[in-house]
Amino acid sequence: MSILRRIFNLFRRHRLAHDIDAELQAHLEMRIEASLASGMSLEEARRDARLRFGNPVAMRERTLQIDAALVLDKLWRDLCHGLRSLRKSPRFAITAVVTLALGIGATTAMFTLVYDVMLRPLPFAHARRILFLQERVAEWRDLYPALPVSANHFTFWQQHSNSFSAMAAVERDSFPLGAGDHALHVNALAATPGIFAVLQVQPFMGRAFNAADATSGHNRVAILTYRLWQRHFAANPAILGHIIRLNGYPYTVIGVMPRSFHMPPVATLGDSVDGSSQLSLLVPLAFSPDLLAEAMGDLNYAVLARLKPAVSIAAATAELNSEQHAISASLPPDEKVSLSVVVTPWQQLLVGKDQRPLLLLLAAVAALLLVGCVNIANLLLARAVGQRQQMAVVVALGASRAEVLRASMREAAILAAAGGLGGLLLAAALLPLMRHFLPPALDFRRSLHLDVAGAACAIALAMFTTLLAGVAPAWMSSRTAPRDVLHSESRLASESRVSRRVRRVLVGVEVAVSVALLLMTGLVTASVMHLMRVDRGFTVARTLTASIELPQQSYSDTQHRVAFYKTMLASLNQLPGVRAAAITNVLPMSGDGWGDSVRITGDTRTWTQLPEEQFRWVSPQYFTAIHLHLLAGRFIRPEDQGRNVAVISERTARTLWKGKNPVGQQFHRGGLPDERPFTVIGITADAHTVSLSSPDPMFVYVPYWYRCGVVAGLIVRAYQDPATMAADIRKAIWRLDPGVAIPAVHSLGGLVADSYANQRFEMDLLLLFAVCAVLLAALGVYGVVSYSVVQRQREIALRLALGARQAHVYRIVLWEGLLPVLGGIGSGLIAAFILAHTLQSLLFEVSPYDPVTAIAAVCLLFFIGAAACLLPASKSLRLELAGVLREQ
Amino acid sequence: MPRNDLQGSLDLLVLKTLSQRSRLHGYGIVLHIQSASDDLLQVEEGSLYPALHRMELSGWIASEWALTGSGRRAKYYRLTAAGKKQLQKAEESFEQLVKGILAIFRYA
Repeated sequence: MSILRRIFNLFRRHRLAHDIDAELQAHLEMRIEASLASGMSLEEARRDARLRFGNPVAMRERTLQIDAALVLDKLWRDLCHGLRSLRKSPRFAITAVVTLALGIGATTAMFTLVYDVMLRPLPFAHARRILFLQERVAEWRDLYPALPVSANHFTFWQQHSNSFSAMAAVERDSFPLGAGDHALHVNALAATPGIFAVLQVQPFMGRAFNAADATSGHNRVAILTYRLWQRHFAANPAILGHIIRLNGYPYTVIGVMPRSFHMPPVATLGDSVDGSSQLSLLVPLAFSPDLLAEAMGDLNYAVLARLKPAVSIAAATAELNSEQHAISASLPPDEKVSLSVVVTPWQQLLVGKDQRPLLLLLAAVAALLLVGCVNIANLLLARAVGQRQQMAVVVALGASRAEVLRASMREAAILAAAGGLGGLLLAAALLPLMRHFLPPALDFRRSLHLDVAGAACAIALAMFTTLLAGVAPAWMSSRTAPRDVLHSESRLASESRVSRRVRRVLVGVEVAVSVALLLMTGLVTASVMHLMRVDRGFTVARTLTASIELPQQSYSDTQHRVAFYKTMLASLNQLPGVRAAAITNVLPMSGDGWGDSVRITGDTRTWTQLPEEQFRWVSPQYFTAIHLHLLAGRFIRPEDQGRNVAVISERTARTLWKGKNPVGQQFHRGGLPDERPFTVIGITADAHTVSLSSPDPMFVYVPYWYRCGVVAGLIVRAYQDPATMAADIRKAIWRLDPGVAIPAVHSLGGLVADSYANQRFEMDLLLLFAVCAVLLAALGVYGVVSYSVVQRQREIALRLALGARQAHVYRIVLWEGLLPVLGGIGSGLIAAFILAHTLQSLLFEVSPYDPVTAIAAVCLLFFIGAAACLLPASKSLRLELAGVLREQ
Repeated sequence: MPRNDLQGSLDLLVLKTLSQRSRLHGYGIVLHIQSASDDLLQVEEGSLYPALHRMELSGWIASEWALTGSGRRAKYYRLTAAGKKQLQKAEESFEQLVKGILAIFRYA
């Protein structure tokens, strides 16, 4: 009942207060009456009554406080008080709220991204049990720490492992969908039937793959994604049983995946993970008997496996390793290698190397928020000092220490609440924008948006900032000794020494954080600049690239493909404005491709012991199209058609033909000693075509008439700006065969820029954060110095009046302001150097201890700090001396 | 004028007072405590009211506005049944306390 009563009391606070007032008043009056009756004068009686009673206002408050539920009411009143006092200084309030909103908003957005990429489970049941399996070949470990899995080994694991409830081999694929003109390019996932049990998803219509679908020759069935079904088949409810053309072959649609199904990209070796390509359909992955018979075979497939509930990852790894051991033991002598397995939780693999830069960005944005908080703490502290007299009066009137603490925290709390709300809105607005600029590798979920986790983060940050910004000023004012304050005669009594010290330390902290942030940003920026300016060894100007896909059905053998490519290249090279058109298996900056080994005539090692090279099949114009440099011999020419010639890179020449001239020498492909040998006809300079950050591995270029696939990368170099040529190129190819898919045309420069998109993204964000932090720090220094100048106006005016030179005043003010700046720079540098090693892996050709960057960061902050000091100093000198002195 | 620290025992005194007189206002309670203790105990008069309010919320006492003998409106308090029980408990524990303290005084 008492709780009800208390709640009821809440709604009649006014009546209650009135009631208590009346009761206390009656008491006092009765006491006065009694005293008068005993002969006291009215004056004496009143005084006596008050002395006996104590402070009536305080008593009334204490009586009211008995109702715990009135806390709510109290909060409301706090809010009103706080708002009122903030309304008196709108500039301060707006600055603080905007600073906090920016800080909280940016941090929340960044946190949401980090959470989304690193922490949120993948959209599958018990997703943490899905593991990604890879092979490790001890002999090639230096070059490839982990390799995709061969069909043979996968089948062996599937038959012998007990640790997994399901296992599936998958491969990304893409083909032209539909027959006839201008086929649609679709991305497909070829998977063994186990994939549905591994992911624990089922088609919402139709059926999943069964064992029969996965036998070679019966695998012409397909399951559509919801999206493809909606967009391309108009959500036709009778789609099951329809025949669609993939690669020119007829496939029967047997199912449609649910709308919620979203498959993160599975990358095998050499694929650059292209998050922008959405999966459109699933087809069964069928291994031919020939493929399964190869003891090693091609290491081609990504393997996903679902761990059984009670099994640990370590136990599963041990089991797989013992199977790998058994496989190694049974390998034929010329393929002897020692195999083991690499087991990685799938999510961890997806996040992979993006983890560190993301955490760096989160740390950077949190540092920015910290600087913002410190600034607001400083401003609040200055206000608290300004309100000392007011506080002293409040304390003298009987407010308890807790009361004072609350009064000074409430401004911080209101600012933080408003800032938190603003930050939440900002994050909600920022995230879609951020998704737009997000490099594909970080966007594998395609669902970045503000959610409960983000909102919780914003609320936590708002609470944290309240504490951080409010606690110092609150502490200062709760120590108010009313007598000292009220007795000091001047309105602008100087700030206490403690509070001045606290303010200096705060400025030092923000300068330290800014200098560390600036330094890291400088290093990352320098890396990106190096990366952009690295000598690539090929040119990108006026060059377009496209990937083209021939329908498998019409081009199932090399002969047909070569014939088509030859005609296509001939007609493209005749297009007006085209300088060179060429094809290759792997476009620059698009990953590795065909790894193989060179056996120089006379070398008798088994092929697993031969060093590996990257093979590129190219058309003769390739070298001209990307402008590779010729060091010796000549490039492949159209007249070589039919001959096995090869161009090798400088590194290959240096490594394989040490000290000899390779031109004219012969070699075989490692595993194929009976083939016609290749003759080396030329040597190119090493370039950076795989990755900007490292020179290419050993390269061997062979002509496309030796080998080419249904998928090719087309490179067209023009005399003028080729932007308008995409349509002409498509038209020229479709004139020859309208069934060829040409999914996307990019400029070669664009491919190169995409290759460092991640670093660019990090750099841009870091730059933004660092600039904001430096500006905030400057604002902090300015605030502290101008406040202390106002405090010391009288002193300065007196000094000037007594003949001090202006330089002297400048020196005083500068010293005052720069002391914390210098301290901050020093400690920031130390902190940055301690943290620098974590940055190492993100940098390219820049030492984390790069002195130039460090000096630049220090100088920049020093000058900004000095400017922030000089501004208030010069302002104080412009004041009219007499006025200042008279005023006080 | 020395004030006895009545912090802990104020509740007991108020309840006991109200049990001896059917109903009293705050000022009357102060006077009663003063006179019944031969002026030995003096309450800081203001601090009585938070205590009264708290006890009322706990349901030990009830209040009503009424006119005093001199025609002034005042708030009168009386003991409830719950208050009587509480008084009994408080008395017992106070007696225990006093006994204990006296025992220590007399310890030789």
